[in-house]
Amino acid sequence: MFEFFNQSEVIKIIIIVGSMSLFLVGLFGLLTQKHIIKTFISIAIMESSVFLLFIGLSYKQTFLAPILADGQQNFSQMNDPVPQAMILTAIVIGMAVLALGVSFTIEYYKLTSKTNIDEMTSLRN
Amino acid sequence: MSLKRDLPTSTMSGFALSASLVLTILNILLHNIPNNIQTVGDELLKLNQTEGVANAVTTVVVYFRGFDTLGEIAVLFIASLGIGLMLDANKRCDIKAKSNFMLQTASKLLFPIIMLFGIYVMVYGHLSPGGGFQGGVIVASGVLLLLISFNEFELSHKVVSMLEMFAGASYVIIGLIGLLVLDKFLGNFLPNDVANMGMLLSGGIIPIIYIIVGVKVGSEMSVISENLIKRCEDV
Amino acid sequence: MSSTLFIALPLLFGFISPLFSKFGKNTTAIVSTTMQLFLFLLSLSLLVDAKPYVEVISINPPLGISFVLTKVSLFFVTLFTFLMLMFSLYYMSYRKTIPYKNETKFFILINMLLASAVGLVLSSDIFNIYVFFEIAGISAYILSAYKKTPSALEAGIKYLLTGAIASVFLVFAIALIYLNIGSLNLAVISLSFEELPHNVKILISILLLVGFGFKIEIFPLNFWVSDVYEGSSAHVNTLFSAIVVKAYLFVFFHILYLFLPSGEFSIFLIYLGAISMLVAEIVALKQTNLKRLFAYSSLGQIGLIFTAFAMQNQDGVQGALYIIFAHSIAKTIIFLSLTTIGKKYNTYDIEVLKKLNSNFLKVVMLIAMLSLLGIPLFAGFVGKFLTLKTLAVNGTFLAMGIILLASLLEAVYYFKLVGFMFVKNEVKEVLEINKTQKVIFASLAIILIIVGTFPFVVSNFLLDSANVLLDNHSFITMLMH
Repeated sequence: MFEFFNQSEVIKIIIIVGSMSLFLVGLFGLLTQKHIIKTFISIAIMESSVFLLFIGLSYKQTFLAPILADGQQNFSQMNDPVPQAMILTAIVIGMAVLALGVSFTIEYYKLTSKTNIDEMTSLRN
Repeated sequence: MSLKRDLPTSTMSGFALSASLVLTILNILLHNIPNNIQTVGDELLKLNQTEGVANAVTTVVVYFRGFDTLGEIAVLFIASLGIGLMLDANKRCDIKAKSNFMLQTASKLLFPIIMLFGIYVMVYGHLSPGGGFQGGVIVASGVLLLLISFNEFELSHKVVSMLEMFAGASYVIIGLIGLLVLDKFLGNFLPNDVANMGMLLSGGIIPIIYIIVGVKVGSEMSVISENLIKRCEDV
Repeated sequence: MSSTLFIALPLLFGFISPLFSKFGKNTTAIVSTTMQLFLFLLSLSLLVDAKPYVEVISINPPLGISFVLTKVSLFFVTLFTFLMLMFSLYYMSYRKTIPYKNETKFFILINMLLASAVGLVLSSDIFNIYVFFEIAGISAYILSAYKKTPSALEAGIKYLLTGAIASVFLVFAIALIYLNIGSLNLAVISLSFEELPHNVKILISILLLVGFGFKIEIFPLNFWVSDVYEGSSAHVNTLFSAIVVKAYLFVFFHILYLFLPSGEFSIFLIYLGAISMLVAEIVALKQTNLKRLFAYSSLGQIGLIFTAFAMQNQDGVQGALYIIFAHSIAKTIIFLSLTTIGKKYNTYDIEVLKKLNSNFLKVVMLIAMLSLLGIPLFAGFVGKFLTLKTLAVNGTFLAMGIILLASLLEAVYYFKLVGFMFVKNEVKEVLEINKTQKVIFASLAIILIIVGTFPFVVSNFLLDSANVLLDNHSFITMLMH
């Protein structure tokens, strides 16, 4: 049975279905939750699901990690380093933006004691 | 107690909307699963043999796509600036909960080990998995441990801002020197022998930049943690 | 001189700025304004050079990142650096009396905004464009919430939420592009984008449209714009409407022309822009807050620019470049005047225009509003006329009708504002305008009049720029040599 799951096509289908279900959870939270921190968490979940999809799908089955180890001499038969570099950057950027968002919310709560998006009405809509 | 609850219409409609969206995307992706095509990464791996270091991801992050890393450092810098602006970095209050004696002892023992490990990951980032970002975050987690265990612990603003300033400015200056010497911004102007691959001193500017990135990320994450923990709650 | 200085110098300024405050209170301001003057002169010198040039960063394209300096990108860079210089000079004129708190951080943020706007316009690598999006976004969020009042913080939170959602969709699109095509360079992607399976192409296009759509403020994703403009101070609204959104518009259409050169979706985009303009002008009619009113006016003009770009032919793009030029300068005048009015009268309600007692400011604002309306002899006329003419030539009469109706509504509320401004008032106290501010307003207004009366001054240049933007072949050849 494990031979079936070890094929590259099946692994890719599992990754796609799994990351899209995470994306569904995040999108649902974004659309329905009213508390600001919960929307930030939903955005973080959506971001993680996209990163998971990207890294998971760019994995080649029998290739090695892109680093010289155990006496290797040349960089052949290795996985792609570019998605890993891109995701490193994107993770840091996503975290920085969300940390800033949390600090805005903290300051807003200190001034008005409100955290519900529906109650933020100091700007006429 | 019955397990049935009325789900409000907003939840149902939100779920219906998001489920339909995700199912469409899922449908399209499952019918067109991307094959393993020839990508830019394969050519960069070949280029890495002559111009890179042992850790190909480090070469890509620091050298081949070094401009993106510079942009990411800028984003972290501006975010820490914004958090300092919002949470009023000048006022410091202690956290209300007193920490346990066990936590204080354990963090005193663990802190040097964490810092050493973080610096190791930073400095050896071009030879083994790791690098500036990872090492910086490990260092910052050590500082975070101290911040929550000891109420009297404070980061010295002068030292941290000196570190940040020096690290950030040297990154841009290295890029500008590359512009002067090689006519390419962030070009590799230090000697990079293929024979040295796998040694600590190899790769030209790559380990230097990654250490600079590590110092900057570590100090900025520590400042962000301190701002978030030691902010004053009263209006 | 290298064009990477546009990014490196503001970053260097940002990193070493704690040093400047040790040398005196005014050092940071003087260094920042001098640096912006230097960058403006650099962009002028690059513009005069006129040969298309690829500036390599780290390794050669198509494997690495590079900056592409063509006429159209240098036009945008010069416009941005000029408007930022005007903004800084305006701030220098009143900072003796009411400076911002933590002024060093303010200067760092506006310089990072400039650097990221320039980087967006020049870059040729899609992930680099995403990084610059984030830099511009994060600087804008903090500038929006700078005053830390509840309305400013609410504006900052709303801006940040929509920006973060846009980033998620953008990363999703970039991931799919890399998985299916294998490169991040715009030239390589444009060569292979046509051969993708049809469903994947549509999915990537829609993800890019949603991701960019939040940022370029197109209907229906612009529900957040008026709140953000109302909550932020009028001073930074200048930057948002004159620099930031223009950079985003340029990037979107640059990518659209490269990926879909055959114009498959152009009818849909034309109507999207026209409807966006109509909805914005309808809602603008009942606004009583001046900042919200001009935010909706910006949204209307953006809809017009969107329609002009979406036509994907030479006259349309030339019209769009004219409108961008006129709109940025006019909105700079309007929002900077609103800052002066707000500082004096402490309110942004529409009735304050009746109390305004400064003939200079009234004339300058009148010139800006006439240009935005598209009255002949002012710079806005040429762009609007070219767009409407191209819409008629292409046969899309419904879109032309929608835009004409929206312009009519625009005229209604602009003439209402003009009526408020020129009503006879009994207030004796004259609003004194600083000499620096007078020079800034006068030079911007004179540019609007000159370009409007003698459009041949810039028309050849804008025609060449339009051709460059539409010319995929030379762009690809430059990057792949």
